Amino acid sequence: MHSEKHEELLSLAALGVLSMGEEASEYERLLAEGCAECGELLSDLRLATSALAVAAAPRRPRRSLREEFLASLEPMRRPATRPARAAGWAFAAAAAVLFVIVALDDARLRRQREELRAQNSDLAERAEADRSELARRDLRARVFESDDVRMLFLGGQGPQPTARGKVFWSEKAKRGILVAGNLEPLPADRQYQLWVFVDGKPVDAGVFDVDPSGRALFESKDLAAVRTAQNFAVTVEPRGGLPQPSGPIVLLGSPQAS
Amino acid sequence: MSLRSDSTDRDRTDRALVAAIESRDADALARLYDRHSARLLGLAYRILGETGEAEEVLQEVFLYAWRAASTFDPSRGSVLAWLIVVTRSRAIDRLRTRRASPGHDPGENDPLAELPAGDDVEGGSAAREWEALCRSAVSELPSEQRRVLELAYFEGLTHQEIAQRTGAPLGTVKTRIRLGLMKLRERMQPYWVRERNA
Repeated sequence: MHSEKHEELLSLAALGVLSMGEEASEYERLLAEGCAECGELLSDLRLATSALAVAAAPRRPRRSLREEFLASLEPMRRPATRPARAAGWAFAAAAAVLFVIVALDDARLRRQREELRAQNSDLAERAEADRSELARRDLRARVFESDDVRMLFLGGQGPQPTARGKVFWSEKAKRGILVAGNLEPLPADRQYQLWVFVDGKPVDAGVFDVDPSGRALFESKDLAAVRTAQNFAVTVEPRGGLPQPSGPIVLLGSPQAS
Repeated sequence: MSLRSDSTDRDRTDRALVAAIESRDADALARLYDRHSARLLGLAYRILGETGEAEEVLQEVFLYAWRAASTFDPSRGSVLAWLIVVTRSRAIDRLRTRRASPGHDPGENDPLAELPAGDDVEGGSAAREWEALCRSAVSELPSEQRRVLELAYFEGLTHQEIAQRTGAPLGTVKTRIRLGLMKLRERMQPYWVRERNA
């Protein structure tokens, strides 16, 4: 059985209208206390809010909108995985071909040059994506190899309700990893800061930036010292971070959901 | 079909599509678009009241699904619930930007503003049953509770702003939000339980 106060806090959080002052702190404490039923109620209330959306009258989009959208994806279509080495060789080959073609002043070849430039750019993008993916996998593998690895989902809060994240941590590996997506890019003087909650109190776990697409892969060395992590949160803070959170919470864990 | 992550064929199909999108399968994205675009466009239009902007939001949402499929977390709900959250967030952002630029009339020069909503959203009888349940649950709420929920959900107003708009005390607004959402949950729970056990 939930108290009316708990129901109220969780209702406001589910609608994304929790204020960042006292209410956010109360909500944070409620989740940090490990209330098993609260996570379930929050999940239900979020679904209940979405029912408001389903109740809205649907509108069929015009056919041309679909075609325009799918056509806009053409430059980004590609197979799921390509070895980084193959992409690198292809990149080099394309660059060499491009060099030869640039020396010729022929209309047909100029056209080909433009096509190869586009291909070149695409290959460079693929190689970069593959390198990033390999780095991500390597980082994850080091934590996943630990037999005590734990994971917690983080949900978007307050000003960034669609942000998502996962924290993996292991005492034995002496490291933890935050994988987050859909975080908004911040001004140059701001950074995201990860907090670990121990006994209901936030402990600084480091600051990080996001890439232009709003993704972050952050490895925190500080987590090894945390033996009894109860929850995690991400706030927006001045660049370099603060000893205690001061900015809005944008990601918060729900321990019951892990 | 429901918003809770479940074992229904419909949500399994959606999740398989998202997994395919993650591996850059544009055909999977086209299928997901066909399955949910009408509902999401309806939501964006309900928030923005203008077809052009609602269409832009729809495109942004599916572009986001294309780029960020890996962030979908099935433990937090269904694919449709995920898309609804993204749609609402994008549309509310636009609404707030518009509020900061006075003089904009959302209904002005909107050729489709008066067209009736489509009712042939892709989906079978389970989808229609779910939609009917949602409409009925929302319409059965006491009007003052429905009003505060709609102001928060479709207009993105904080509870303080709702109190100012409606003239109701802040405590009353919070109570109405709580009671309204708890009632919606109560109405839908039997459906969630039934689907989980199906």
